[in-house]
Amino acid sequence: MTKRPTLFSLILSMPLLLWQLLFFLFPLLFLVAISFWTVRNFQMTPDLNFGNWERVLSRGVFWDAYFRTMVLATTAAVVTSIIAFPASYAISFKMSEKAKRWMIFILIIPFFTSYLVRVYSLQVFLSDAGIINAAFAYIGLGPFPMLNNAFGIIVGMVTLTLPLVVLLQTFSLNFVNRDLIEAAHNLRCGRLRTVFAVIVPSAKVGLVIAALFAFILSFGDFVSPLYLGGGNPPTLSIMITDFTKSGQQWPRAAVVAIMMIITLLTAAFAAVTYAYKERGK
Amino acid sequence: MKANAQMEQQSEAIVKFDNVVKRFGNFTAVEKADFEIGRGEFLAIMGSSGCGKTTTLRMLAGLEDPTEGAIYLDGEKVNGKATWDRDTPMVWQSLALFPFLTVQENVEFALKMRGVGKEERRQRAEKWLEKMQITEFANRNINQLSGGQKQRVALARALVTEPKILLLDEPLSALDAHLKVRMQAVLSNLQKDLGITFVYVTHSMSEAFSMADRVVIMSRGQIEQIGTPEEIYREPYNRFVAEFLGSANIFDGVVQGPAGADGWQVAYEGGETILPKSERPDARQGQKVTFIVSAENMQLSLPDSGQPGIEASVAGEEFIGGTAMVFLETAGGQELKVQKSHDELSVLNLHPGSKVVVHWESGSCHVLPGENK
Repeated sequence: MTKRPTLFSLILSMPLLLWQLLFFLFPLLFLVAISFWTVRNFQMTPDLNFGNWERVLSRGVFWDAYFRTMVLATTAAVVTSIIAFPASYAISFKMSEKAKRWMIFILIIPFFTSYLVRVYSLQVFLSDAGIINAAFAYIGLGPFPMLNNAFGIIVGMVTLTLPLVVLLQTFSLNFVNRDLIEAAHNLRCGRLRTVFAVIVPSAKVGLVIAALFAFILSFGDFVSPLYLGGGNPPTLSIMITDFTKSGQQWPRAAVVAIMMIITLLTAAFAAVTYAYKERGK
Repeated sequence: MKANAQMEQQSEAIVKFDNVVKRFGNFTAVEKADFEIGRGEFLAIMGSSGCGKTTTLRMLAGLEDPTEGAIYLDGEKVNGKATWDRDTPMVWQSLALFPFLTVQENVEFALKMRGVGKEERRQRAEKWLEKMQITEFANRNINQLSGGQKQRVALARALVTEPKILLLDEPLSALDAHLKVRMQAVLSNLQKDLGITFVYVTHSMSEAFSMADRVVIMSRGQIEQIGTPEEIYREPYNRFVAEFLGSANIFDGVVQGPAGADGWQVAYEGGETILPKSERPDARQGQKVTFIVSAENMQLSLPDSGQPGIEASVAGEEFIGGTAMVFLETAGGQELKVQKSHDELSVLNLHPGSKVVVHWESGSCHVLPGENK
């Protein structure tokens, strides 16, 4: 049965439609247009110049940054998912309804403070003279470099995405049919094995979407690579700011941005397809 | 013959509930359950929702632990033993099939958990798919099956390890009437073929009485009666069971004295009747007796026939296949039920408000032993 949208439902969806047109689709089209413009004497002029694309895509620096960003975001998504899962599991399965509500409230608190502020405080924590290395020094170890490298970036990204991932995982685990877990136990599947054989596959859609969000947020993150990673070698988002700052190269920045959008769309499509894939015919 | 077989079964019980109590906080879900289940028996536990029947089954499965008392499975005390260490597969009301696995993978699940090799797993699963006539769906996704097919997958998944006992928690409640009857036949035949014990929880009298060897009737955590369907139907133990079965008229009477050699004269509100002495050999004058007369043993006459009995007026009628249930109300406000064939009723020409006289043979009275002990 195909459903035709009624006039009423069309009117209801107008605000969303307008917003998306004004602040997403038009800027996106503009971005695509800009990527073909020409810059002369620090001035942009409308053009159909494929040179920007050629320049950016043919340079090793771009591809190095591309793969570096990819690896960082993937690592952050995997690490966040693994750290988040036991917590989400405990909230969803071991807590009373009242405790659950409190935990969800507590998980939202990090969104109250600016990400930038949190990253600054992480600098204090992670630097060679920071609290963690001071603790290591106390027992005669270190200092371990934790700032201005990949470790620092991952710490920042995980900190950024962890609350959201725990929330998404918890919601998806709440929808796991409790009968399935008892049925698994009843069919001789022990507690830990049930987690991997029944709970994870049952909550697959939510777990994959949560990891996808962590990937998307980390992939586009600019703050952690700059303030915790030192900005060099650059990630794609740092590359974008570099292009705009040096010589008004907005067109090249646009090329990088479009490559990022294509990558995220592909990743999202692949993740959703995988999440909803069903077994059997 | 049947009694002998039962004796044998009971002496070789596979399950024994020894004064089992289950409390959830202040709420007592099961109160002093004390019964045995015979090897190869089809036992139904019946009652309305919240009566403790599912809790009883879950304690047997190891999904709940008794608060007091002991449960023995195959002679071994299983209190505190987790469900994954028992051999008590269960079929859920929701069926609880794994939607992320194919039909075949669902059936193989328990074997995989036991570390059975891939090839043997496949063979054993295929055998059960064939037995349940679902071989053609082996590679299907669970969500693409009909209700009846899912039911068969759930049975195959539970039985693939060839257990001695199968627990079923209202497995047919989601099916339509026609399919329900077909699946009842499947279950009955399966139980006979396998010769294993089935413990079947249901709120439906027709399911329990048509399949079970014995029925346990529960209410508010208590076991009200255990017996064969026939025993329960003919001789309900107390008022609750008689009311639950719904086809008997209940009377509260007082023994007046002997009536002949083998009867008691009993007075009740609205009349007097004679109870067979065998129903209550030790009765004394003035003793209270609660007795029932089943709806199909009640007779109806018109008031002008001169037949002694209870006067009542017709409140309504309900068709039950070839018969009808006539609902009556006495002057004292008691409601009575009389089941008669359409032919008998057409002679009387009844309509709502008609006056009738209700009477019965003294032999059709049955005293409820559980009342006025």
